[in-house]
Amino acid sequence: MPEELDPVIHAPARLRVVASLAALGPGDELAFPKLRKLLDMTAGNLSTHLRKLEDAGYVHVTKTHEGRTPATYLALTPTGRTAFADYQAALMDLLKGAQG
Amino acid sequence: MASDPTSDRPEGQGEAAGLDPAEMLRMIQQQQEAARDATEPDGRVLFAAWGLAWLIGYLAMWSTARDTGVPAVWAGWVLAGCIVGATGLTVVHSVTRTSGTRGASARVGAMYGWTWFLAFMAFGVLIGAMGDAGASTEVQAIAANGFACVIVGLLYLAGGMLFEEVRMYAIGGWMLVTAVLAAFAGMPDTYFVMAVAGGGGFLVMVAVEQVIRARRRSSGTGERTEGGGRRA
Repeated sequence: MPEELDPVIHAPARLRVVASLAALGPGDELAFPKLRKLLDMTAGNLSTHLRKLEDAGYVHVTKTHEGRTPATYLALTPTGRTAFADYQAALMDLLKGAQG
Repeated sequence: MASDPTSDRPEGQGEAAGLDPAEMLRMIQQQQEAARDATEPDGRVLFAAWGLAWLIGYLAMWSTARDTGVPAVWAGWVLAGCIVGATGLTVVHSVTRTSGTRGASARVGAMYGWTWFLAFMAFGVLIGAMGDAGASTEVQAIAANGFACVIVGLLYLAGGMLFEEVRMYAIGGWMLVTAVLAAFAGMPDTYFVMAVAGGGGFLVMVAVEQVIRARRRSSGTGERTEGGGRRA
């Protein structure tokens, strides 16, 4: 029943982005290059997925400067965290349904 | 380069559709483990570094102090070298792992690191002042070992509270026990207690961390991922 699963998260690339950011503590941010390396995605591909997550209100993007170099930091919003928890709960339900 | 055409296909279709829930949950768990490995220091590395430093350094002190009652100068340098080495490794490992993160955890982590530095600066001055005030080598040695264990113990207890790490809290408690044992052991056995109870305690934690990791990996889905990650 894929229609029960959040379509924003239900794509492997975005699920991995959300899962990675959810592993951080609330109020913590990850730099774009570090996330890109962790996921082993191209910058363009990651940007595209991040834009979708940002549009859904799941990811907060902060653009800043460190010295003179521009830096981008990413964090899961409370909405994103809730959506991820709901998504995992839905998967668990599917798993239980499949087993029972 | 800016856009990837494959990522713009309709939602909910494509690669994800083929995966079953168990596989998805496993993927989530693996990804979160990888994210934690990339952003948090590895307890095994730090415990191993400090376990070996204490074991080697204090055994050198103990073995040379057994005959004369006073450790050899070279043993003092071995201990100092071990402590400096473990400190360097801790700083490099922690800074490398946490680079590219910012926010509450990074701030707390930085303050925690500086607390160690400040505490041991004060420790050095205190022990020196005791010598200036006429404390014997034996009294200084007992105080140095006891204070070192108390500082380490209290900071691990604090770390356990800050990061909600029960294992850290446990080793902190054990270090306070070691402080008491080292103080009552007297010269030169105080060094033996430091090596075996202190250094050994850290090395036991390496094994504990390893077992927990292996168990978490083999348990498949569940436990750590519930609620969407850390303190969610």
